[in-house]
Amino acid sequence: MALVHKLLNGTYILRKCPKPGVASCPFLSTRFADYCSSSLEKPVAAPGKAPSQRKTEGNLEGHHQREVALDITSPEDKPEVSFDKAIKEEIKDHFRRLKDDIVNHWIGPEGRPLHEVLMEQAKVVWQFRGKEDLDKWIVTSDKTIGGRSEVFLKMGRNNQSALLYGTLSSEAPQDGESGRSGYCAMISKIPTGPFERKRFYDWSQFNTLYLRVRGDGRPWMVNIREDTDIIQRKDQMYSYFMFTRGGPYWQEVKIPFSKFFFSNRGRIRDAQYKLLLDKISSIGFTLADKVDGPFFLEIDFIGVFTDPAHTEEFAYENSPELNPRLFK
Amino acid sequence: MSWAQAILLARGLSRGWGGICSTALTGAPFSQVTPQAPRGLHCSTAAHQPDSPLVPRPPEPQRGLVKALAPHEELFRQAPDGVRDKASFVQAVQNFTQYNVHKRGHVDFIYLALRKMREYGVERDLAIYNLLLDIFPKEVFRPRNIFHSIFLHYPRQQECGIAVLEQMENHGVMPNKETEFLLTQIFGRKSYPMLKFVRMKLWFTRFKNINPFPVPRDLPQDPVDLARLALRHMEPDLSARVTVYQMPLSKDSTDATDPTEPHIIGIQSPDQQAALAHHDPARPIFIEGPFSLWLRDKCVYYHILRADLLPPEEREVEEIPEEWNLYYPMQLDLAYGRSSWDDYEFNIDEVEEGPVFAICMAGAHDQATLAKWIQGLQETNPTLARIPVVFRLSASSGELLASSSGLEEPPLTPPEGREEEENNQQRQQQSQS
Repeated sequence: MALVHKLLNGTYILRKCPKPGVASCPFLSTRFADYCSSSLEKPVAAPGKAPSQRKTEGNLEGHHQREVALDITSPEDKPEVSFDKAIKEEIKDHFRRLKDDIVNHWIGPEGRPLHEVLMEQAKVVWQFRGKEDLDKWIVTSDKTIGGRSEVFLKMGRNNQSALLYGTLSSEAPQDGESGRSGYCAMISKIPTGPFERKRFYDWSQFNTLYLRVRGDGRPWMVNIREDTDIIQRKDQMYSYFMFTRGGPYWQEVKIPFSKFFFSNRGRIRDAQYKLLLDKISSIGFTLADKVDGPFFLEIDFIGVFTDPAHTEEFAYENSPELNPRLFK
Repeated sequence: MSWAQAILLARGLSRGWGGICSTALTGAPFSQVTPQAPRGLHCSTAAHQPDSPLVPRPPEPQRGLVKALAPHEELFRQAPDGVRDKASFVQAVQNFTQYNVHKRGHVDFIYLALRKMREYGVERDLAIYNLLLDIFPKEVFRPRNIFHSIFLHYPRQQECGIAVLEQMENHGVMPNKETEFLLTQIFGRKSYPMLKFVRMKLWFTRFKNINPFPVPRDLPQDPVDLARLALRHMEPDLSARVTVYQMPLSKDSTDATDPTEPHIIGIQSPDQQAALAHHDPARPIFIEGPFSLWLRDKCVYYHILRADLLPPEEREVEEIPEEWNLYYPMQLDLAYGRSSWDDYEFNIDEVEEGPVFAICMAGAHDQATLAKWIQGLQETNPTLARIPVVFRLSASSGELLASSSGLEEPPLTPPEGREEEENNQQRQQQSQS
């Protein structure tokens, strides 16, 4: 059963992220997860010890394939089993994307004319209008470290929104090193160009993040990761809180980028600097509010825009007590 | 270092050296904490504990299954009729300090006490955390020279201090000046617990008021009050009115939520009332639910009364007559072109859903209770009598859904899995005729 699931998983991932020649490797799924997933946000070890839970977020539970399990949004269509055809299709697809990329470079950034991009004040970055929009997201929970939370992602009513739902359980896993547990996260996949080259988002002309969500009253945390091109920075991220109101009405959440604070390995750091917007790699939503029970979050779309009334550069100043070296 | 601290240190040092010398001469094993130290050196400025007689240990109960007890756990065990509250917790802590003048094993005891706090219900009490920090012997773990400060001086104790502060952080308890003084006295100003304290002071004050929809920390226990708070929390319109349609029966002998007469509370704003009055009686309206709402750590369920979206051809645009306002025109049809630098709209059609006419919270989630709500609504919305009401309830019974092995039905009605749907048209018309 596990082997069949691994095989099916491997072939499904094959369509998205192939490396011809390594296609038949059964550990492709774990490798893919390693590359594209992000490390855990909340510190789950006992205080004083470094939280170092980097277990692979591969397929730890095999049952209920039709429900969205750990990393992958539900593959409801049957993955093909023919490797050669899939490899050929993938190669053709990548060359086509490369050609589009070169052509678009002449037109302007991302294929749109330069004046349009420069004067843009509001941009929709992620929308949820079809199944393919769900494929851009990964959902994780603390099952990867042995906890009991479950989280699933599916299309909402009328295919107009995405519904992230599940159960949070803060029961700590009995593995001898985790003191606390209980989190669920939905992280966007890192955008890739042709031949799976890592890309990034450039939001340097915007200053506010806009989300249209409908929650159930629980407080979420929005995390933004920067591009790890030069330095390996997979543990650092910028976060802020998103408080949902609950209720049947859609809620607009506007978070200025100046409010995001810096954290490394799940701990907020003393030396704070503002989030630089020119190389953003992914965004994520985490729920870890220590309350056991079911939750849901419905997302309409996620965009960025320029709020002309917001002039703050950075919300947190460094304190000389904690950082005397910055004030020499 | 101020002169008071210097005097205390000198006194402690002289006593310590004297104690060590005397015990070295006699050859008995010595500890760094001298037995002859006066009480004043090792107690904080907190209220001096009176010398009460030692409470005898409760007898060991006969148990077939014997678990390995943590050290000092017997201090937290008490007579079966004893209630677990703050007083007994304080008593247990005092027992430790009185049994154990040298505070042997205080680190283990503090870890155990931190684990037991939730049982005794004191995890948000700052005085208890200060009491736990008071257990540490003072002035012993402070670094005295450069070598102490380079290497982590007394690492287990510092970790324990950090654990106390971390539990405070987890429960959102803000430390105060007493905590700061205790930490300075125990660990010194450059220690890791003190650093954590400074960070807590900084970040807690920064994030104290960032919730735009604050919920009070002490939620009301009465379900009617809780429902009122929740409905007000959900409805952004401040002119909405909360109406209690049915109060639960008096709770002398029965439970608070009597199955036959649950509480029903609804909320409706004047705009929603007007919209319902304009609603076309030929189209049905739906009662959907139950949806969950979390207030801090309590989950309540609500139902909504809504109609479907009108198709675009039937939507009518409201015409404002020109004489409505003589000072300036209410509608302007100017053909000014705005170029994209002034366009702050998102290039996406927002998801549109039908209008919501009312929200309610009830003790039970069955059709009979909701029908009573509709009857109550009809008093303020007489047009509701002629509109057919369709119940779209999902199968959940209303309790927190226990997580099964993965096949879990969310409380929302997914479009393909609607469980119950009953048409109540005849009953409505009969009840009104």
